[in-house]
Amino acid sequence: MIKIINIELYKIFKKWRTYIGFIAIAVLVPIIQVAMLIEGEQSLDFMTRNLQQSFIFVGNLLNGYLISYLILNALTIHIPFLVALVAGDLLAGEATAGTYRLLITRPVSRFKLVTSKFFAGIIYTNLLVLWLAILSLGLGIIIFSVGELIVIKTSTVIIFARGDVFWRFILAYGFAALSMSVVASLAFLFSALVENAIGPIVSTMAVIIVFVIISAIEINIFEAIQPYLFTSYMASWRLFFDDPIDFAEIAKSCLILAGHVLFFFGLAAYIFKRKDILT
Amino acid sequence: MTDKIIEVSNLSKQFKEVKAVNNLSLNVFRGDVFGFLGPNGAGKSTTIRMLLSLISPTEGDIKIFGKPLKAKRNDILRKIGAIVEKPDFYGYLSAFKNLEILGKLSGTNTSKNKIMETLELVGLEKRFKSKVKTYSHGMKQRLGIAQALLHDPDLIILDEPTTGLDPQGMKEIRELILYLSKEKNKTIFLSSHILYEVELVANRMIILNKGTTQVEGYVEDLLNANELKVTFRVGDKEKALKLINENYWIKKLESQIEDRFVFNLAPEEISVLNKYFVQNDIPVNAVVPMRSLEEYFLKLTDKEA
Amino acid sequence: MKVLLILLIISFSLTSSFSQKKDPDKILEDVKKTFNEVKDYVVDIDIKVDVDFLKVPDSKAKIYYKQPNKVHLESESFALLPKEGLDFSPLGLLEEKYTAIYEKEDTVDGNKTAVIKVIPLEDESNVVLTTLWIDEAKHIIRRVESTPKIGGTFSIELKYDKSGTKYPLPASMLFTFKVDKMELPKGISGEYNEKESKSKDKKRSTTGKVSVTYSNYKVNNGIPDSVFEEKKK
Repeated sequence: MIKIINIELYKIFKKWRTYIGFIAIAVLVPIIQVAMLIEGEQSLDFMTRNLQQSFIFVGNLLNGYLISYLILNALTIHIPFLVALVAGDLLAGEATAGTYRLLITRPVSRFKLVTSKFFAGIIYTNLLVLWLAILSLGLGIIIFSVGELIVIKTSTVIIFARGDVFWRFILAYGFAALSMSVVASLAFLFSALVENAIGPIVSTMAVIIVFVIISAIEINIFEAIQPYLFTSYMASWRLFFDDPIDFAEIAKSCLILAGHVLFFFGLAAYIFKRKDILT
Repeated sequence: MTDKIIEVSNLSKQFKEVKAVNNLSLNVFRGDVFGFLGPNGAGKSTTIRMLLSLISPTEGDIKIFGKPLKAKRNDILRKIGAIVEKPDFYGYLSAFKNLEILGKLSGTNTSKNKIMETLELVGLEKRFKSKVKTYSHGMKQRLGIAQALLHDPDLIILDEPTTGLDPQGMKEIRELILYLSKEKNKTIFLSSHILYEVELVANRMIILNKGTTQVEGYVEDLLNANELKVTFRVGDKEKALKLINENYWIKKLESQIEDRFVFNLAPEEISVLNKYFVQNDIPVNAVVPMRSLEEYFLKLTDKEA
Repeated sequence: MKVLLILLIISFSLTSSFSQKKDPDKILEDVKKTFNEVKDYVVDIDIKVDVDFLKVPDSKAKIYYKQPNKVHLESESFALLPKEGLDFSPLGLLEEKYTAIYEKEDTVDGNKTAVIKVIPLEDESNVVLTTLWIDEAKHIIRRVESTPKIGGTFSIELKYDKSGTKYPLPASMLFTFKVDKMELPKGISGEYNEKESKSKDKKRSTTGKVSVTYSNYKVNNGIPDSVFEEKKK
C-alpha cells in the first residue's frame, strides 16, 4: 500500500499542474503581505475605528498573525480550486491519458489503487495547506514580526496575547486541512465518475461556490438548509480564535467534515471498483 | 495443472444498447499463439478488457491459468503482460520511469539492469531518459511491448500490436512474437483485424464477429484447406460455359458473373483447368486464387468498411 | 440639554450653597498644588480589562507623564486603556474654565472626602459634568465620575496605599464605564457567516471595567519632550 501511495505521490509531483497550487500560494500570499505592508495601517485603523473612540492602545497589531488570519479568511474559496485541480485529476486524468489500462491490469486490487490515490491526494492537500501555513505565518512573521492578534467579530473584539496565538493557528491550519480534505474527497468522487479531468474540477468548484453562497445569504429558507451543507462547517477553524473556545462545536464540525470525507471516498471507491474501464 | 491457459465460457457483455460480446467461448492452450481475429467492432477489445478485468462480464466465466478471474484476479494478473489498444503511457515521465512504476506495481524486479534489458529488447535503450510524450507512435508501441514483458509473464495478451507501425515495425513485432513463443515458451493471445498477420504467427485462431465466434480451429487447417476459390476471367464466356457444362468442371463451378468464373479447386487443379481452357482456345485473362476463409473474412471486413 | 442640566445643577447648588462652609475652588486649588509637585513621572502599569465585547489579555505598559498634560503610553506588547483613564491628573480638567460646586461630604474606602461637581464652561470641552471625591486631608482625588458629551458615563476610583512614592500618585485605578455595544461594519472583519453573534445577548449597552495597577514610579526625573512626540499607533 505504501509502495503504491509513493508511486501515486511521485506521479502527482511529476505533474506540472501540481505546482500550480504551490506557485499560486507562493505568489498570492506575498502579494497580500506587500499590500498589507502598504495599506495595512489604514485598514487596521478602519477596522479599529470604533475601538479608538473609547480607547487608546499601543502595540503591534499589524503583525504576522493578523496577516495570516486575514489570508486564511480570504483564501478559503481559492484553495479549494487548487485542491480540486489535482484531486479531480487523480482518477479522471488516468482515464483521459488512457493509462487506466496500464494501471488496472496490474496485480493490485482496485480498492488498493483507489485508496492509495486517495491518500496521495489527501497528502497533496495537506501539503498545500502546510505550504500556506508556512508562507503566511513564516513570511508574515519575518515581515511584520509577531504581536497580539486582534480578531474583530460582529459584536466583539478579541485580542489574543502573542503567546496565545501560535497554537491556535496550528489547530486552525489543521482544521483547514480537514476542510480541504473534504474538497479533495468531493473532487475525487467526481473524478471517479467521469473520464476527463475538467469535469470534476468544474463540478467541485460549482458545488462549493453554490454552497458557500447559500451559506452566506441570510434568508430563512437558506438558513434552514445551511446545517446540511458541508461548507457551513469549513469555516469553523475560526472557532479556535474565540475565547473561550467552543470545543464541542469544533468537534461537531470535525466529525461532520470527517464524515463527508469518508462518505465521498467510500462512494468513489465503490464506483471505481465497479467501473468498466472503456478508455 | 491444466493446459488450458485461458478458458472462456459463455461470455457476454451488454452495454446499454449494444451486446458487444455474445455467448463467446474459447480456449487457449499452453504454448499457443492464439489469433483472435475479427473486424473492428467485433468485440475483440471488449473480450480482452474482460480477460484483464478492466470491465466485468454481464454473463459467463473466465478462467485463466485454471483459476477463476474474479476471485484470483491479482494472482492471475501477476502472470499476464498485456497491451490493450493504443499504447498510452504517463507522457510526463520517461520511458524508464514508466517501466519502473509499472514493474513495481506488478511486483517484479525493477533494477536498472532489468529495465534496460527490456528496453534493449524493443530497441528503446537509447531513448530511455526521454519523456514518453516525445515518443513517436511506433516507439510507444514498442514501449507497450516492453511493459508487457517486463515482469516476465506466462501469458502475453497483445491487442492489435502492429497498429500504426510501418512494414518494418510490423515485421519486427512478428519476429518478436515468434521469438517469445518459440524461445521463451510464452503463451500469446494476439488480436488483430488482419488475417495475414495472424496467419504468419498464430497456430490457432478464431474469427469473431458480432460478439461471437464464427470460425475456430488450427490456422493450418483453416487456411490451407484443400479447396481454394479461384476466379478465372476468360475471353469467350459462352464458349467457356458450354465447354465446362459438358464435363467434370461444372461440379466445381460455384458462380459465374459475366466473364468471371469462380471455381472451388484444390491447388493442383488450378493449372489443369487453366491448361484445359487454353487448349480449347479460350483465352484466360486472369486467374485469381482466393482462400475461402480469406474471402469470408474480407466480406466481414468489407461490411464493416 | 446642556443648559438645562447646568441650570438644574445650579439651582440645586443654590439651595444648598448657603449652608455649606467649604469653598470648592479652594479644595481644588489644593489638589492642584499637591499634584503640581509632580512635574513628570514614569510608571509601570498592569492592565486588566473586563469588558463583555472586548477580550484583551492582561498587559503591562509604561505611562510617561509630563506637565501639564503630556501623556504617552508605551508597551512592548499590546496595551489598551480607556482614553479617560490614561491621565488621572486633575490638571487637565482644571486648566479650563469651570464652575465648581461643593456638594456634600462622603466617605470613600473609609476616607472622608468632599464631593465637588465641576462643570466646564467652555464649549470645546468634551465633558458635561465631572464629580470629584476629594480627600481634603491629603488633597488627593479618590473618585471621579464624569459624563462626557460623547459616550457613556464613567467613573474612576483611585487607591493610594502602597504606591511606593511620596507623591500623590495612585497605586491602583479602577475604571468603570457604560458603553453601547459596538457594531462593526460587516465584511471589514472578514467574517461572512459568523453565527455565534446571533445567539448572544442582545442588550445594547454594557458596563466595562478596566483596572490598572501602578508600580515603580519614577517621579521628577525629567523626561525629554521627544518621548511624547512619537506618533502613537
